[in-house]
Amino acid sequence: MIELKNVIKKFGRKEVLKGVSFTAEKGEITCLIGINGVGKTTIMNAIMALTPINGGSILIDGEKIHKGSYEKITFIPDAMTMPPNMRINDAFQFMADFYDCWNQERANEMLSFFKLQKEDRISNLSKGNTAKVNLILGLALDVDYVLMDEPFSGIDIFSREQIAEVFTSHLIEDRGVIITTHEINDIEHLIDKAVLLDDGIILKEFNTEEMREEEGKSVIDVLREVYRG
Amino acid sequence: MSRYLKLVNFELNRFFKIYLGLIAFTAISQIIGVINRSSQYMNQANEAIYERGMALDEFIQQYGPMSFQKVSQSLFFQGPIGICIAMLLIYMFFIWYRDWFGKNTFIYRLLMLPTERINIYMAKATTILLLVFGLISVQILLLPLESTVLQWMVPEELRMDMSVNEIIGADVFGLLSILYPVTVIEFFISYAIGIMAVFVAFTCVLLERSFRWKGIGIGLVYALGSIVIFFLPMLIEEMFFPYFLYPMELLLLMLLTGLIVTALAIWIGHYLLKNKIRV
Amino acid sequence: MNVTFNKRDPVYVQVIRYFKEQIATGNFEPGQEIPSRRELANKMKINPNTAQRAYKEMEEQGLIYTERNLPSRITRDEQVLQSVRDELILEAVGSFVTSVKSINVPLEEVLDLVKKNYQVDGDK
Repeated sequence: MIELKNVIKKFGRKEVLKGVSFTAEKGEITCLIGINGVGKTTIMNAIMALTPINGGSILIDGEKIHKGSYEKITFIPDAMTMPPNMRINDAFQFMADFYDCWNQERANEMLSFFKLQKEDRISNLSKGNTAKVNLILGLALDVDYVLMDEPFSGIDIFSREQIAEVFTSHLIEDRGVIITTHEINDIEHLIDKAVLLDDGIILKEFNTEEMREEEGKSVIDVLREVYRG
Repeated sequence: MSRYLKLVNFELNRFFKIYLGLIAFTAISQIIGVINRSSQYMNQANEAIYERGMALDEFIQQYGPMSFQKVSQSLFFQGPIGICIAMLLIYMFFIWYRDWFGKNTFIYRLLMLPTERINIYMAKATTILLLVFGLISVQILLLPLESTVLQWMVPEELRMDMSVNEIIGADVFGLLSILYPVTVIEFFISYAIGIMAVFVAFTCVLLERSFRWKGIGIGLVYALGSIVIFFLPMLIEEMFFPYFLYPMELLLLMLLTGLIVTALAIWIGHYLLKNKIRV
Repeated sequence: MNVTFNKRDPVYVQVIRYFKEQIATGNFEPGQEIPSRRELANKMKINPNTAQRAYKEMEEQGLIYTERNLPSRITRDEQVLQSVRDELILEAVGSFVTSVKSINVPLEEVLDLVKKNYQVDGDK
């Protein structure tokens, strides 16, 4: 379980996270939804210790993040994390060199699923293909938790469909996943849990299927209620 | 192989093409310098001896024999050394900043490696030092090669051959004497100071990367503080007890302060990478 | 399995409904093997946990059964199959009646129209 307790983050005097608490379970897809603001990405960075927090605590299976945690949790940011002059193959080699949990078979499997070539240079990839390579670099690690920042944003519809397919596949199964999005429409049925974030606070945290069952409301309905007051 | 060594290998590879370029540029420019100065000299000699009928001895007396010193003072020779030094000084900062800027933010990957983050810092420092020592080794190997070219071009009776040591010793006002201090102890002192400077510069970069604008100020104060600590024995002696210490004692004291400054730089760098760094 | 889900009903309920429709229309035959929960999730583009929930409910309702480690199958129980059909028919008639009632049409007229339309539709 990933557990955020009262996390506070300031940029200068501006408080961007004002006491954020939520949990994300293993085996579930948790979706951080926020219409605006920088809060979502900041939360991801904070979980991965890529930015310091000013208060509160973040625990991964009960422990603070440490070097070994990166074999257990990974983050797929909204930007390519490998140098542009590398070929996809070099990027795989780099991952294999540094991570014990790198799963080359899975990487190859995803590569052919996405119809990408090992020899392609990272700098030559389209935006959609960059997102796919990023996804492979994260999901081919045998980690328990995967964080993804806006995996569906700014890419073509077919790439989105392919990525959505990954979400319902064995590549995700049994892992704990946190994704951020500002556009829930496409993925309502893919997620287990929605965490609504606005202006640095969590407005609501709920299981989407329970929400439909008990109150007959879609995620969008809840969003509308919460944001419009 | 440990992740630290893999990182060193990776960082070296990232700069390798430019590095080879620098080496090739240096070698070519310096050899052109040899050819240019040698043929200039030979033209002078030919003109004086064959056209003006000057005797060989007389010519040598008037113009001096051709030696490598005439080459090493030229821009063809000193220029590339200066450029290499400048490039490495720039790369000392760029080796960090390249990971943050540009379309691909490699710093995410680096900070998410399952290894102590100080290894990233040490690997980058090791890379810079290897690049520096690599270049000074290449330069020292180039010297005899370039001397040979000179010997091909100028006949023996017009030459004054110099050993590598003599070439360096003769370059009093040039960059060679900076790169290759004459005594072993001087060599160690200047490169130890260099290594310390790399660590201090790295920690300044990390201060900036952690605190951004505020970090620049903190970095300047930190750098100044490091300089003061390092020169503290000298300053105290100058100000309060002139000529109190023997040079050897002063040296030992500065070795101590130098170690303190270096250790402090690494410790702060470690702390920043662990607790304060931002992507 | 191209199913369009609405956003307000629980997805697992919609999955079960889809299965019932397929059973009632005979697309799923008694004893037919059905996809694993992962395959189902992948095909329907839904969360695997939801697919799991749907299968669990269907198993409890006796719509599907699983023997040992074999893939699950559609039930062969005639009674259950019949009740699925009845349920769907009743539901369809129920909603039809509600909408017809709301425009105040007499029963005889409705039945006539139903007969005509049903035959025309059937001839096509």
